[in-house]
Amino acid sequence: MSTSAATGGDVVYWDPYRPDLGKDPYPTFKRLREEAPLYYNAEYDFYAVSRFADVEACLGNHETFISGRSDIMEFMREDMEVPKGMFIWEDPPEHTAYRAVVMRVFTPKRMNALEGMIRDYCVRCLDPIAGNDRIDFIADLGGQLPGGVIGMLLGIPDEDRDAVRDQVEASLRTEEGKPMELEQANLTGENYEEYIDWRMKTPSDDLMTELLNTEFKDATGTVRKLTKEEVLIFVMLLAGAGNETTSKLIGWMGKILGEHPDQRREIAADRSLVPAAIEEILRFEPPGPSVARYVAKDVEVLGQVVPAGSVMLNLIASANRDESRFTDPELFNIHRRDPPHMTFGRGIHSCLGMALARVEGRVVMEEILKRFPDWTVDTDNAQLSSSSSTRGWDTMPVFVG
Amino acid sequence: MAKITYIARDGETLVLDVERGSTVMRGAVDNALQGIIGDCGGACSCATCHVYVDPQWYDKVGEIGATEEILLEEVCDPQPNSRLGCQITITDDLDGLVVRLPEKQV
Ligand code: HEM
Ligand code: FES
Repeated sequence: MSTSAATGGDVVYWDPYRPDLGKDPYPTFKRLREEAPLYYNAEYDFYAVSRFADVEACLGNHETFISGRSDIMEFMREDMEVPKGMFIWEDPPEHTAYRAVVMRVFTPKRMNALEGMIRDYCVRCLDPIAGNDRIDFIADLGGQLPGGVIGMLLGIPDEDRDAVRDQVEASLRTEEGKPMELEQANLTGENYEEYIDWRMKTPSDDLMTELLNTEFKDATGTVRKLTKEEVLIFVMLLAGAGNETTSKLIGWMGKILGEHPDQRREIAADRSLVPAAIEEILRFEPPGPSVARYVAKDVEVLGQVVPAGSVMLNLIASANRDESRFTDPELFNIHRRDPPHMTFGRGIHSCLGMALARVEGRVVMEEILKRFPDWTVDTDNAQLSSSSSTRGWDTMPVFVG
Repeated sequence: MAKITYIARDGETLVLDVERGSTVMRGAVDNALQGIIGDCGGACSCATCHVYVDPQWYDKVGEIGATEEILLEEVCDPQPNSRLGCQITITDDLDGLVVRLPEKQV
């Protein structure tokens, strides 16, 4: 096992805060898989698994590796109280009961049914810039579409969506080289309170109204409706989890397709390649590169005991490049015939919004390629941000043509 | 081991030896079969392991759980013989099982 004690030597070192490592973490991940598949970082006191099978096993074992102290390493350190209904940070039976409430909502069939609406929104973003010789995948699209779609689903009025996005982004951003601060995260959902009150009085056919009216069996077995506080938290969670991640997917699309013109032209010529191309972008650069778990009891991992109370980081981005699962994993190849990636997590907490993210990704790729079959990334002006929980572009300007 | 036949939409057929205790989903994913994703790894959460069980086998693959029942209404193109592949555990009795793949999972 490696520790940070020997930083100067050639012992592998990694933490999610160093900007130099965040820029291109993949050589380090490769070394972790080879040299320290169970890695311990003494400086920040966390463990990390990096091979596909180990990450899959850890995320599949929700009794030992729990989510009840959040899935963000920094938050685990502080005795954070997770609000009821923030089911991404809860364990069974609460997690099961809450997730069941929205399980039906984000399924493949329902999300595909939204395709037309998503396409309209996308077209509204793209048509005004159709003739431009420069576009920005984030400013023009990634920063707008995902929040807009979630907002439409929930019934949040258009003009307030930007404020919602800005708040979520601020709550998740880390200053370069620094861990996240818990106080940053506004977990009360105050911003949405007005809507809830309004929706209680004026029901509509949106998700917010559905959340207010659906009966479910809670963790104690009582059949009831969600409280107003729980609805607030749900809305926060859905808006938070569905926004920045999907925005980052769109940014990576600009970056990766910009750098692989041959494959981009192939997709433009044959749209049936779009779904596979989305999967390959998701594998190659996952918007959420790692998720953390709290170790609830002593557990043996790769022959070593990881004590109760530890923090375990699951390096999804590394698992996605594990050479024992993927052929030439460091190559971007939309034609690969490997088993699927792990970008949406695994186990009971695997992404609720994956079908939505995929539909959005597909629509965006189609509509972009229709209008802009060729572009080059403006590397000098593209800004990367990287934290323990998200990694992607804040700006992704490109030269069209 | 049981021999499981997976038939894709275009008729492409793959016969895989899947271990007892594994599942229809895992057998497919472990062998890089295209057309079954299984994002949640078998936690009955993602509905991306949808298969159509051959009618002759339908009664032999076990009961549908409560969560599975809900998700089965929400897959792409649900049919009366739809199942989630991760909820079909391989037993010796399933040697010869035939499943067909939907046009798409998501
Ligand atoms: C490309 C886009 C996306 C990526 C990469 C992504 C990734 C993930 C990952 C890795 C997890 C697991 C977290 C953990 O295990 O601790 C997760 C959970 C979750 N995601 Fe996503 N996500 C995306 C889009 C969305 C969207 C559009 C929504 C909107 C509904 C969403 C809602 C959620 C929710 C509610 C959870 C918690 C599920 C649970 O704990 O049961 N995500 N996502
Ligand atoms: S693998 Fe997710 S529901 Fe079957």
